[in-house]
Amino acid sequence: MSGYFLRRFLLIIPTFIGITLMVFAVTRVVPGGPIDRALAQAQAVQEGQAAVSVREETNSTLSAAQLDQLKAYYGFDKPVLESYVHWLGQVIQLDLGRSTRYNEPVWETIADRLPISIYYGVVTLVLTYLICIPLGIYKGIKHSGTFDHASSAIVFIGYAVPGYIVGIALLTALASETEVFPLGGFVSDDFDDMDFWEQVRDVIWHSVLPLISYMVGSFAVMTFMVKNSLMDNLAADYVRTAMAKGRSFRGAVWHHALRNSLIPLATHFGNNIALILTGSLLIETIFNIDGFGLLGYESLVERDYPVVLGILVISSLLFLIGNILSDLCVALVDPRVKFR
Amino acid sequence: MRIDPLTRRQFKRFREIKRGWYSAVVLILLILSTAFTELLVNNRALVVNYQGEWHFPTYAAFKPGTTFGLDYQYETNYRELKSRLQSTQQGWVLLPPVPFSPYEINTYEGQFAPHPPNAEQGHYLGTDTAGRDVLARLVYGFRIAIWFSLILLVTTFAVGISVGCAMGYFGGTFDLFFQRLIEIWSNVPFLYVIMIIASIITPSFGLLVLLMVVFGWMGMTWYMRTATYKESARDYVMASRSLGASHSRLIFRHILPNTLSLIITFVPFSITGGITSLTSLDYLGFGLPPPTPSWGELLKQGTDNLDALWIVSSVVGALVILLVMVTFVGEAIREAFDPKQHTIYE
Repeated sequence: MSGYFLRRFLLIIPTFIGITLMVFAVTRVVPGGPIDRALAQAQAVQEGQAAVSVREETNSTLSAAQLDQLKAYYGFDKPVLESYVHWLGQVIQLDLGRSTRYNEPVWETIADRLPISIYYGVVTLVLTYLICIPLGIYKGIKHSGTFDHASSAIVFIGYAVPGYIVGIALLTALASETEVFPLGGFVSDDFDDMDFWEQVRDVIWHSVLPLISYMVGSFAVMTFMVKNSLMDNLAADYVRTAMAKGRSFRGAVWHHALRNSLIPLATHFGNNIALILTGSLLIETIFNIDGFGLLGYESLVERDYPVVLGILVISSLLFLIGNILSDLCVALVDPRVKFR
Repeated sequence: MRIDPLTRRQFKRFREIKRGWYSAVVLILLILSTAFTELLVNNRALVVNYQGEWHFPTYAAFKPGTTFGLDYQYETNYRELKSRLQSTQQGWVLLPPVPFSPYEINTYEGQFAPHPPNAEQGHYLGTDTAGRDVLARLVYGFRIAIWFSLILLVTTFAVGISVGCAMGYFGGTFDLFFQRLIEIWSNVPFLYVIMIIASIITPSFGLLVLLMVVFGWMGMTWYMRTATYKESARDYVMASRSLGASHSRLIFRHILPNTLSLIITFVPFSITGGITSLTSLDYLGFGLPPPTPSWGELLKQGTDNLDALWIVSSVVGALVILLVMVTFVGEAIREAFDPKQHTIYE
């Protein structure tokens, strides 16, 4: 077993290199990178000057030496593979480079967004588990009852419709039309002037709608997972045996079926650490939340490749480790599972 | 074609799940109707009878206004022609139910776009910020979105099924190599990559499908691999192998037909995936170029102009209805192919 997990951990290395190399290569091939942006800026400046003074250079806005300097500054002067190795070497030393847009270390840019992302990630995670497990159990026990059908309909719409569409619908109905909730952002403008309890209230007030949108998708999946696996277990022979021996239905559910039916939850548990950080680009765009997803989107639009790659490094590492953690969780809770 | 009793029973079970069955009927009708969208939503008339002459402008070359005795050379405005012919008694015009084209910019004196819904003007769902009819854009956007997902479905399934089947059947190094490849590939933030590519070259319909296939074939492959793996270890496969059946016979006659139910259960979910991906890309501005009618673009307009409530509510409503219907079909298929009988002791 430990051999299996050791192998899995070692396999992270080639996978990680594969992912980053591919995205790294794409960012190199694609035009419109930082060099082109700097060129465009220089051109804009020069065109402004051209109106007053006669332009000396006509073919290029920057001299060849300046261009080389610029390329060296952004690390574009070497071939893809060579600069990738250089970049990877820096990543191993925990240096993700400097953001070309903010001109500050990528770590700082990312760390700025971290509290917001972690807040939404953790709250979503806790709420999802807190609501889904009891709801799934209740629906499983009262299968085909009125409550089961009524709640299924709501859960089902959440399953069919992506979270950001739900977000837009909520935003339209509750924020734009009736102003029950704010239109977006993480806190109000006068946040700093509030006392502690007002601040807490303000954060919660701002996060109700985004949280619902975040939860919608995983909510449906998890509720049905709990419900179905509980019902599978209730139909299993060992529950029948327990009932035949005279155990009450409640006892059979709580002491026999329930523990086994929570096993499938473990298969998803590890991935949560990745979800906590990455968030959702679309939901963050709609609610204007300054989290990880929005940072990724903005840096992509602005061609801030060090940040794009930095986010990729963090999210892919978390994802890979999360996958292994999930397997580990399964092995821990279910002694029948053997990994070879 | 002979339908075996098992399939017939599965189909019967599917029909018994009412909401899934009715959703499937409605969806199939909607998809078929996309062949005649021009007859339902168009600014060209279906039939014009002008001074005893018959005209069918829908699929014909464009007819300048002079054809109908009007004083302009550009394309006839059939809505004006209708009211004109009504008053002059020179003939009549039959317009489609929604007499607007999705590209046509409508202006009304004394009003600024977006125009709210107005049955008198014929804008049942109002117009967007450029003055184009929302209903017309929804209908044409639906046509693009649904065919996008159908084509995407066929291509991803073709790739996924062949690669997955080969992985599960041959196993060994081939399997191991593709496992690594899939793990790497599925970790590439594909929305990012598509956005990077789409921000350089304006994506066409075909290119967008290609990109989505390149980054979306893994899901199906993974499931097919497991299914093939399971099937090829079964006794009947071993038996026919010992009888000397070739690889292709084993795969195409034995294994694939037995994984068919798995493939079918994934169809509806793949369609919802296609629709939502296209809508998200269009919403972020990395999808099909304007002025292509698209739900994502309408959604963007709606969220940017929340006071024009009719835009956002029509497109969100349409999306919810469509996605819920497709998911109903999906659940019903799953239920029909894999009925779970549960016993509860009281």
